[in-house]
Amino acid sequence: MAGKAGATPTTYTPSPKTQRKKPPIFKNDDVDWVRPDGRGFHQCRPAFFRTGAVNAAAGSAYAEFGNTKVIVSVFGPRESKKAMMYSDIGRLNCNVSYTTFATPIRGQGSDNKEFSSMLHKALEGAIMLETFPKTTVDVFALVLESGGSDLPVVISCASVALADAGIMMYDLVASVSVSCLGKNIVIDPVLEEESYQDGSLMITCMPSRYEVTQLTITGEWSTPKINEGMQLCLDACSKLANIMRSCLKEAASASDE
Amino acid sequence: MVGLSLGEKHFIQGGIAQDLRSDGRKRLTYRPIYVETGVIPQANGSARVRMGGTNVIATVKAELGRPSQLQPDKGKVSIHIDCSSTAEPVFEGRGHEELSTELSVSLQRSLLGGKSGSGAGIDLSSLVVVEGKICWDLYIDGLVVCSDGNLLDALGAAIKAALSNTGIPRVQVASSASGDEDQPEVDISDEEFLQFDTSGVPVIVTLTKVGKHYIADATAEEESQMSSAVSISVNRKGHICGLTKRGGAGLDPSIILDMISVAKHVSEKLMNKLDSEIAAAEASEDES
Repeated sequence: MAGKAGATPTTYTPSPKTQRKKPPIFKNDDVDWVRPDGRGFHQCRPAFFRTGAVNAAAGSAYAEFGNTKVIVSVFGPRESKKAMMYSDIGRLNCNVSYTTFATPIRGQGSDNKEFSSMLHKALEGAIMLETFPKTTVDVFALVLESGGSDLPVVISCASVALADAGIMMYDLVASVSVSCLGKNIVIDPVLEEESYQDGSLMITCMPSRYEVTQLTITGEWSTPKINEGMQLCLDACSKLANIMRSCLKEAASASDE
Repeated sequence: MVGLSLGEKHFIQGGIAQDLRSDGRKRLTYRPIYVETGVIPQANGSARVRMGGTNVIATVKAELGRPSQLQPDKGKVSIHIDCSSTAEPVFEGRGHEELSTELSVSLQRSLLGGKSGSGAGIDLSSLVVVEGKICWDLYIDGLVVCSDGNLLDALGAAIKAALSNTGIPRVQVASSASGDEDQPEVDISDEEFLQFDTSGVPVIVTLTKVGKHYIADATAEEESQMSSAVSISVNRKGHICGLTKRGGAGLDPSIILDMISVAKHVSEKLMNKLDSEIAAAEASEDES
């Protein structure tokens, strides 16, 4: 975020100008429609990550995928509250919140109550919780602008923030979703596409271990379609993880100097 | 919640590995399902489902409301699950919130389909009375009375049974002489009821992974040993209508695909069993 207003326009991926067009109506058999931002069906938005967005946090990251902008801070490990029972593995406390101005209609984002528990479930399998017994790690995510595929961006950004905080993980967690629109499967849907979607599939995975930590499917899917969607997502996840890794490497080498 | 000794843990895990579980079932066998319909007279439809020690009640209430402006040709359905502290002491106070939300969200995902409404188990357009003006709001409430594992499958079955038990009153729209008025007048019949079409409502099959194998319809003891669980809802056509994963441990993508095909197979049996149970319950309700 600091990079946006400041004088460092070097590595910044410019976000496309907000279009004020009327949303196109997707017809079932229409194979020729163009996505609102002109991408191919199987093309992801440019991903941008930067660590160290919040100074006070143990680790933090800012992610921007097109118009979706999120910031995640990680605090801890800190001592678990006295009321909690003894636990010989660490606890993970996740919270996802929306700013009131994140959505086109003010304050609409708060109806995503389940996002916090989804974030928790996506991350807990990747973190070595046994490395910090009796303590708690807080992961707080804030969606600054909701531009579609919010949860996958939050999850990916959170794993970069955890890595920045030095929390031990088995692997980075990358997350990608696809939307089903009629007969087509589009990857990394924007808000407009999500509101028209017939179904969606979201995968969070650890690409180097080739393990799926979380998977949700909504809407009606046939098995071949699930296959296709999963392959697309897994492929995109491994590419996304490379971007995340290079961001962390950059940050590490910059701090060495 | 479940306190097990090391020996008991080994016994459960060993049994699952040998395809003979502690209650004598095979890995993919369900416990017997008992369905009772029309248990709550106050509701438009209700059902109670028992699977072993798991005991849940689902009710459907219909109220007239206004359709949302974005989708004027569709009714609204909301699903809410409550876990009673009579079932488990840990559900007391705020203790049940996490589980309740998780169950509600999974059921919404399975039954309501995508944002555009396609693939939904409940046909929302059949709930419209006057387009853009009046529609039925369905409130589906689930209550966990007693919990012994596999709550999601039981709740899914109970909701399916409650929906097929639901009668929606026929509504007469008064011929609107004053057409400018916002809300047309309606007359709700208390004699004529419309049956709800539940052929599209999916069943939910949860496969719980314990050790290297996965089992259907896990008891609470078996669930305490799980590494992860995948709940898959399958409709009559054999299409997947929703999938939720629980548990932190990662799964190989090929295992997930394998689980999906197994779940499809298991769901056929479950669907037939459930349909015959619902029919039997409806018949015995008519007799009494």
